[in-house]
Amino acid sequence: MPFSKYRIGEDPDYVPIGRRLLLLNWTLVALITALSGIGFAMLYSAANGSLEPWAERQMMRFGIGAALMIIIAITDIRIWLKLAYLSYFVALVLLVGVEIKGDIGMGAQRWINLGFFQLQPSELMKISLVLALARYFHGLTVEETGRITLLLPPLLMVLAPAALVLRQPDLGTALLLVAGGGVIFWLAGVRMWKFGLILGSALAAIPIGWQFLRDYQKNRVLTFMNPENDPLGAGYHITQSKIALGSGGLFGKGFMLGSQSHLNFLPEKQTDFIFTMLGEEFGLVGGLALLMLYALVITYGYVIALRCRNQFGRMVAIGVTSTFFLYVFINIAMVMGLIPVVGVPLPLVSYGGTVMMTILVSFGLLMSVSIHRDIRISRQGNDDGRQ
Amino acid sequence: MSFMRFSYWLRGDRPELGPDQRERLAIETARNRIFITGAMFIVGFTWITYGLVDASVLRQGNEPAVASGTDARELKTERADIVDRNGILLATDLPTNSLYADARVVKDPVESADMLLTALPDLDRDTLIRHLSSRKAFVWIRRNLTPEQQYEVNSLGVPGLNFQREERRVYPHGRLFSHVLGFTDIDNNGIAGAEREFDNELRINNGPLQLSVDTRVQYALEEEVESAMETYSAVGAAGLVMDVYTGEVIAMTSLPNFDPHRPGQAPADARFNRSTLGVYEMGSVFKLFNTAIALETGSANLNSVFDATEPLRVARFSIRDYHAENRWLTVPEILVHSSNIGSARMAMAFGGATQQKYLKKLGMLDKPEIELPEVGGPLVPNPWREINTMTIAFGHGIAVTPLQVVNGISTIANGGIRRPSTVLRQDGAPAGERVFSRETSDLMRRLMRLVVTEGSGKNAEVAGYFLGGKTGTSEKLVNGRYVKNARMSTFVAAFPMQDPKYVVLVTLDEPKGTKKTYGFATAGWVSAPAVGKVVTRIAPLLGIEPANAKAPEIEQALQIELRKGERKLASF
Repeated sequence: MPFSKYRIGEDPDYVPIGRRLLLLNWTLVALITALSGIGFAMLYSAANGSLEPWAERQMMRFGIGAALMIIIAITDIRIWLKLAYLSYFVALVLLVGVEIKGDIGMGAQRWINLGFFQLQPSELMKISLVLALARYFHGLTVEETGRITLLLPPLLMVLAPAALVLRQPDLGTALLLVAGGGVIFWLAGVRMWKFGLILGSALAAIPIGWQFLRDYQKNRVLTFMNPENDPLGAGYHITQSKIALGSGGLFGKGFMLGSQSHLNFLPEKQTDFIFTMLGEEFGLVGGLALLMLYALVITYGYVIALRCRNQFGRMVAIGVTSTFFLYVFINIAMVMGLIPVVGVPLPLVSYGGTVMMTILVSFGLLMSVSIHRDIRISRQGNDDGRQ
Repeated sequence: MSFMRFSYWLRGDRPELGPDQRERLAIETARNRIFITGAMFIVGFTWITYGLVDASVLRQGNEPAVASGTDARELKTERADIVDRNGILLATDLPTNSLYADARVVKDPVESADMLLTALPDLDRDTLIRHLSSRKAFVWIRRNLTPEQQYEVNSLGVPGLNFQREERRVYPHGRLFSHVLGFTDIDNNGIAGAEREFDNELRINNGPLQLSVDTRVQYALEEEVESAMETYSAVGAAGLVMDVYTGEVIAMTSLPNFDPHRPGQAPADARFNRSTLGVYEMGSVFKLFNTAIALETGSANLNSVFDATEPLRVARFSIRDYHAENRWLTVPEILVHSSNIGSARMAMAFGGATQQKYLKKLGMLDKPEIELPEVGGPLVPNPWREINTMTIAFGHGIAVTPLQVVNGISTIANGGIRRPSTVLRQDGAPAGERVFSRETSDLMRRLMRLVVTEGSGKNAEVAGYFLGGKTGTSEKLVNGRYVKNARMSTFVAAFPMQDPKYVVLVTLDEPKGTKKTYGFATAGWVSAPAVGKVVTRIAPLLGIEPANAKAPEIEQALQIELRKGERKLASF
């Protein structure tokens, strides 16, 4: 491992590979596999009982992603600590790159083709931002987080990619980035009133920023805020979604028997609205079972964060868990019409390579935190941890 | 956590603390924040779990039902509905679409016009081409299309044609209320009848406008009046039903009528409201007013006798009786035989000033007060000479609307209190103004009943309902001259006479006699039976039960002595 300056035997916190595999949280792996399995079944149903075009590809991606997850999990957490800024920098460069390329090419290309899936730099940024922020706050004492000058660099680290993503325009991802970053700030012990100040000035900036928008941009924002502006678009989706959920009832209509979904009343049933399809076919019971699985995964992430003895690991764990929670919450609340429509998929279940990869990589990090939870890392992150 | 510790936590670092304590504080802060984050997770999951239970089980696909239900209820029209006294819909608004053109956008006016003619074949081609080539931004092509027409025009795909959503006035009962409701113009402005009178109120639209009319009664009245009009080949007719205590018009018709959806296609005569706008000499009907004035002023009582032995000559006029008895007549006899001479002599007894005063109180000398724009002012003599007093006693030389007659008879029948006529539903009787005493009213009820049992109104009799009324036949004035065979035949009656509730009037304009009436076209033959038929039909609807004529209270209420008048020395 070229990034470790310790040789085997010298590092008191070194855990052998075999031991790492034993320490790996296999229950969590099983939960993730179960959730993905539900996703395969729903994609099979969405294609009217066919592996094509979605289920098979999703399985393949899961296979690759799961292997990647395990490799990341058994890699020393300190390596990820050292790579944090680099990965953030790479992600930022890629984000700027697609932005410029998209502007030049007029085609608005937001992704880089890696062969088996298309990498969106904004997705990579979700993980890198968590890592970089965790790294930054790992190096600060609680007192130091009270100093505004020390808070400016991480603030910039959040706002730069968020602004770039917002320009795409992808409000959903931008909000997830800001929220995920905000959670790290919160755990680092940034004072409450500063959150209030940021939130207050953000709200105050809305009417000022509004004047600089062009008419078509205003319309976009208005339509986003109020889907009823677009009754045959998003408003229609939500109505159909509610009908489908209601028609599922307690026990559902049965696997592959959801009429709303299969007669194509339900839009985007393989991606953003897959939860509705599950609700229609398996009813309240099926929906609650899925929620239970998600709750278990999030509880695992939460417990890992609580048990971690180093600040970096704890922040990465909570950052990953919170991002995962936000995915689940926003998607399910959206399909039930509790919040406006935001294009956020249901993690592990919805069809989509990039999100699957992002989630599995982040769970790899989470498990790495879990395996290396007892390692003490100094604030500088470059010594052996014994002060 | 105590309040103090909470405030430390809020403010952050505590420089006065030692390193160990600071370390503990930092760990505590971090732990608290992790716990709060976990609490947020729990809140979020609880929320979506509740949402799932709500959407899948509690609301069970209620969404569509709710949506369609509110759609129907939220249809708010620009112009208020009009309803009858029982809430039956008389006029409402329907949304429609009208076709207009933006002539600046029309490419080829001639080709566009020809295409448009395939969908709307009754349009005039030349006018259409002129409109389409006018270069104006807005020209109406056709107002209020049917959905089918709109579909056809739409599928033509002619550029420059657009639809404007409008509302169209619809009268579910068609012609039935044409003279009460009036109609609106193409822009939905009320221009006749109640639509015009209450135009502002209807535009403000604070719920439906409730009229006093009763659709069931209106239908019965219209049908019977129309039937009489056809039977006797009359050129027109008027019919009224009024509540004697409130002055509410329960039904009002004027024939011929018109379709309020197409008022422009009706002749002017059909749009003329004979009940409120037409003024006519009402003839012998006025003898009731004359008699009531005489009884009220005390210038006569039921036993008074008047000389009707020979025609009365005044200057160059001569007053005669149609059914001359050529003897002295009592007051009841004057009404039963409808004696002009007797009535004129009765009027002479109380004089012209008294006559004017009472007719004024009865509202006969002013425009009728009713909430309709179509009201006609009476024709009254000026100056009011002695001869006028004498002819007005039997209803000649004064022309009033049928509505005023009905209102006057209501005043006589209801105990003597006059209340203005109205087409708006009233809650209870308004205050009113006393014209006659209760005693006069009571005597008049008996006299009116007597006319039906013994006099010219026999053909109106309806068993059990005790009608009381008076016939009136007058020659029509055309260009200032009386025309012999052009009559107005009127019968006005109140019922039930022991306790009058309603007044019914039927007037036929130029009726012709039939074989059945032995060629007569006077009111007793043509109008009285029509009133009888109307009462037969409406009394049960209005909740009036037939009574037994032998019942003591009815005999007591209606009993009157018809004594033969003789010349008595005392009367000299």
